[in-house]
Amino acid sequence: MSDNHTLTRSFLRPITGDAHLRPPCEVTCPIHTDVQRYVQLVAEGRPAAALAVVRETNPLPQVIGRICAHPCEEDCRRGQVDEPIAICNLKRAAGDGAGDAGAVTVPPQPEFAGGRQVAIIGSGPSGLAAAHDLALLGVKPVIFEQQPEPGGFLRTGILNFRLPKHILDEDIAYITGMGVEIRTGVSIGRDITLKELDEQYDAVLIAVGLSLSRSIPLPGADLPGVCLAIPFLEDVNAGRDVDLGKEIIVIGGGNVAIDVARAARRLSAGKVTMVCLESDQEMPAHAWEIKDARDEGIDIVCGQGPKAILGDGRVEGLEVKKCESVFDDSGRFAPTFCETELSTIAGDTVIIAIGQMSDLSFVPGNGPELDQRGLLVFDRRRWATTRPGIFASGEVVTGPGAAVNALASGRRAAVSIARYLGLDIKDYPEPEAIGELPRRVREEQVRQAPRRRMPTRPEDERVSDFNEVETGMGEVDARCEASRCLLCGGGARYSQLKCISCLTCVRVCPYGAPTADKDGLVGIDADVCQACGICFTQCPAKAIDLEVVSEQELAARIDAAAAGGGTLEFGCWYPQTRVAPEARAVMLPCTGRLSVTMLLRALEAGAEKVYVAVCSEDDDGHFVHGHRQTRAAVQEARSLLEDIDLEPDLIELKVVAEKKCLKGAAG
Amino acid sequence: MIVTKPKPFRKIKQFTDPHENILVVGCNTCTAVCLAGGEKEAEQLAARIRLHRRRQGLGGSVETVTVLRQCEHEFNEEIAEMVEGRDLLLSTACSIGPQALAERYTGVRVAPAMNTNMLGMVKEHHVWSEYCVACGDCGIYKTGGICPIARCAKQLFNGPCGGSQGGRCEISPDVDCVWQQIHDKMVSLGLEDDLKKIMGPKNWSWSNHGGPRTLKKEGFQP
Ligand SMILES: Cc1cc2nc3c(=O)[nH]c(=O)nc-3n(C[C@H](O)[C@H](O)[C@H](O)COP(=O)(O)OP(=O)(O)OC[C@H]3O[C@@H](n4cnc5c(N)ncnc54)[C@H](O)[C@@H]3O)c2cc1C
Ligand code: SF4
Ligand code: SF4
Ligand code: SF4
Ligand code: SF4
Repeated sequence: MSDNHTLTRSFLRPITGDAHLRPPCEVTCPIHTDVQRYVQLVAEGRPAAALAVVRETNPLPQVIGRICAHPCEEDCRRGQVDEPIAICNLKRAAGDGAGDAGAVTVPPQPEFAGGRQVAIIGSGPSGLAAAHDLALLGVKPVIFEQQPEPGGFLRTGILNFRLPKHILDEDIAYITGMGVEIRTGVSIGRDITLKELDEQYDAVLIAVGLSLSRSIPLPGADLPGVCLAIPFLEDVNAGRDVDLGKEIIVIGGGNVAIDVARAARRLSAGKVTMVCLESDQEMPAHAWEIKDARDEGIDIVCGQGPKAILGDGRVEGLEVKKCESVFDDSGRFAPTFCETELSTIAGDTVIIAIGQMSDLSFVPGNGPELDQRGLLVFDRRRWATTRPGIFASGEVVTGPGAAVNALASGRRAAVSIARYLGLDIKDYPEPEAIGELPRRVREEQVRQAPRRRMPTRPEDERVSDFNEVETGMGEVDARCEASRCLLCGGGARYSQLKCISCLTCVRVCPYGAPTADKDGLVGIDADVCQACGICFTQCPAKAIDLEVVSEQELAARIDAAAAGGGTLEFGCWYPQTRVAPEARAVMLPCTGRLSVTMLLRALEAGAEKVYVAVCSEDDDGHFVHGHRQTRAAVQEARSLLEDIDLEPDLIELKVVAEKKCLKGAAG
Repeated sequence: MIVTKPKPFRKIKQFTDPHENILVVGCNTCTAVCLAGGEKEAEQLAARIRLHRRRQGLGGSVETVTVLRQCEHEFNEEIAEMVEGRDLLLSTACSIGPQALAERYTGVRVAPAMNTNMLGMVKEHHVWSEYCVACGDCGIYKTGGICPIARCAKQLFNGPCGGSQGGRCEISPDVDCVWQQIHDKMVSLGLEDDLKKIMGPKNWSWSNHGGPRTLKKEGFQP
C-alpha cells in the first residue's frame, strides 16, 4: 500500500456530508451573525469574546443589540420547544458585559496602501457597514453626510429611549477609529455634485436611505399643528423645541408611527392616539413595539382611515372613515373604505407617519438611470447602478426594512465594490440551514426553560423622560437565557472514513440521531442531534467529533486550565454555580461530554485535583442521560486511577449546590 | 467477532516499566468494536501509562497510533516511521495483532495489552457473550442454531446433563443451560425427535487439536 491511509485517517478531523449546514438563526440573520457562538460565549460568562464574535459580521454591535428587528428569533429552533432565544437581547448583554468588565476593543488599523478611495453618500447603517468592510479590505472610504452628525435614521429617527446616542457614538467611533473618514454637514447635490464625486473617487456608493416623509393629500393638511414624522423625529432627536399640543393624533400603524407616538407621549402631558387602517393583528409594527406603546398609555385606534383634518386656523380633530379591508386578494396594499361610517377623533396636533421615500434630487439627468417612479435602476446581484463605478445600497434601493438589512446590503455592496476595484475576494457567504426539530425530541426530550425577559423601567417613570427604557439583562439572567440555546447543528460530526460501524453511537444516543442499515452506519442526523456529546465520548474509533467545543478545543482548554497545577473544575454552563469556585474551570455544555481520556488528560496536564460537576442527582440534567454518562466516565476514570495506584479521589464527581438557571423564570 | 479484554494494569506495567520509548498500537477492527482496544482505548491506555510512569519517576515517552487491522501486514507497514526508535510495542489488538507486529518489526519487543477472550456477540452496549470456539466443524444445524460447544460448560454433544436445573447450568444460577435452550428450540421447530438420535463423535483435528491450522486456496495467489 503506497499512500498513507490509516495514518492520515487517524489524524482526520471527523466531518459529515452536512457539516455545512448552519443553525437557522444564523441563516436568517441578514448578516449571518454566528449567533450560536456568541450566545454560547455569553452562557459561559465571556461577554468580551462574545462581542468579538458579533463584530465579525456586525460593524454596529451595540446598536443592533438594542434595536434589531431580530428576524433570527422567528426561526430559532428553541421556539419549536417553548420560546425562541432572546438573541437580540443577548447581543446587548455581550456589549454591556464587556463594558462592565472594562474590556477595551481597539479597532483594527488597516493600511490603505493601494491608494484607492471610495466615496459613500450617507452615514446610515448601510453606508457605515460598507465603509467598515472596505476599510478592512484596505480601500479608503470617505463618507459624506448632510446631517451634522453621522448615523442616519439611527440618530435622526430612532429615539434616545430605545437607542441612547452615546451607544451609537461608541459604535461609530470604532469605525472611524479604523480610519474611515466621515464628513458631516456635506450634502451631495448642494455642496458637491455626484459628478464631482464620480470623478474624484474610484467608486461611489449611494446609501442615502429614505429621508423624506410621505404625506397624504387630506383636506386640512396645511393647517398649523399638522406635521410629518421624519422632520418631527429629527427635531426631537436634535433636542430642538417642539411645540406639541395636548391631544396628539398620529396617523400610521408602523414602527415609525409607534416611535412618533412614544416621543409625543414624552413631550406632551396630554393624550396620544394612533390611528391606523389595519386591524390589531394586521398592524405592520412589531408586536413588541405595539405592546411598549400600549404600556405607555398610547391609544391605538385600528381599522380607521383618515378622511379630513378638521379645524379652523388650527387643528381641532381628525375625521376618520371605517376601513373595510387593507389588502386585496393578492395581498397588495389597496384599502377600501365605508365612506358613510364616519367618526371624529378630537386633537390639536396631527403627525403623519405613513411611510418614507428617498430624495434622489442630487442624481443628475445624465447620471445613473432612474425609472419612471424616480427610483434607481439597479442590479440586485452587484448592488450596482447603471453607471459603472456607482453603486447603491440600503433602503434607497431595498425600500424600508430593518437596520440589519441595511447593514447586510452595505456589506454586500462593499464586496461588489472591492471586486470592481480589482480585489480578489470571495462571495458573501449564503449558508444553508439545518431542518426542524423532530417531534419526539421537541415534545418529550428537550427540557422546557422559560425565556428571560428584558427588564424595563416602570411605565409611569419612563414616559417622563427620554432615557433608555430597557435596562439590560443582568449577568445571571443573560447567562441563563443564553444557556437555553440548543446548539443547533453544533453536535456530532462523524467521519465516514474513520467509522467502523460498531454501532456504539446508535446504541448510546438518547435522541436517536445516528442510524444504521445493513451496510453500516448511515449517518448522524444533524436535525435530531442535540449535541449532548455522549457518542463522542464513546466512539471507539474516534470517528466522532463535536462541532461546538471540539476535541481539539477541549484538549487545549484542559491543558491551559491545568497547566499551573492546583484544582480544576469541569463545570457545566447551565446551573451557573461552581462546585469549586476557587478552581480553574473548563466550562462545558454538560459534563456528559467528557471522555475518560479527557478526565485523565487533566491530571496529565498538571491538575492536582479534578472536580466534575453535575447539576442534579438524576440521570439527565440538561440532556437526556447526560449525568448517567458523566457518572459512568468518572467512575471508570477513578477505577483506572486505582489500577495505577493513584488515589481515585483525584477525580471526584460533585453535584452543584444551587441551580440558578434551570429553575425557571420566576426562580 | 473476536472479543478482547484489557489486561489488568499490574500486568501491563510489568511489560512497560522496563522500557523507555513505548508505542501503544491500537487496532480499529474487532477490538475496537468490542470497545476494548480501538483508537480511543489505545489513547486512554497511553495516558494511564504516562501517569503511572510519571508517578514512578520513569522517563521515556509513551505515544500511540492506531491501524485499521493489526492482523494485516499492509496496515502495520504504515506505522514503520512511528516504530522507529521504540523499544516496546504494546498492542491493544487481539493476540494476533502483537504477533503480527512481532513478525514485521523483528528488532522490537512486543507485548499484548489485551487478553483475547472469545468469539462472541454484543448482547447490549458493553455486554458480550461467547458464541463460538472455532472448532472447525460447525454442527449447529442439528442443535437449533445454538452451539453447545461454546455455550455448554461441559461441551456436551448429547445434553443436557444431570446438572441442568430449572433451565440453569449447575456451574452458576446465572448461566443458562444451553441444552435446555436447544431442547426448547427444537420443540418449537417440531424437531424434538431429532434430539433422540445420538450425535456421533466430532473430528477435533479440524480444531487446533490437530495442530496450528493454515487455510489456503490454491491457484489464486498472485
Ligand atoms: C423612527 C424610526 C425607527 C426605526 N426603528 C428601527 C428599529 O427599531 N429596528 C430596526 O432594525 N430598524 C429601525 N428603523 C429602520 C432603520 O433605521 C433603517 O432601516 C436604516 O437606518 C436604513 O439605513 P440606510 O443606511 O439605508 O439609510 P439611513 O439610515 O436613512 O441613512 C441615510 C443617510 O444618508 C444621508 N443622506 C441622504 N441624502 C444625502 C445627500 N444628498 N447627501 C449627504 N447625505 C445624504 C441621510 O442624512 C442619512 O443620514 C427605524 C427607522 C425609523 C425612521
Ligand atoms: S436554539 Fe440556539 S442555535 Fe438554535 S436557532 Fe436558536 S439561537 Fe440558534
Ligand atoms: S443582527 Fe439581528 S437578525 Fe442578526 S442575529 Fe442579531 S438580532 Fe438577530
Ligand atoms: S460509534 Fe461506531 S458506528 Fe458510530 S461513528 Fe463511531 S465507529 Fe462509527
Ligand atoms: S449522542 Fe448526543 S451528540 Fe451524539 S448524536 Fe446523539 S444527541 Fe448528538
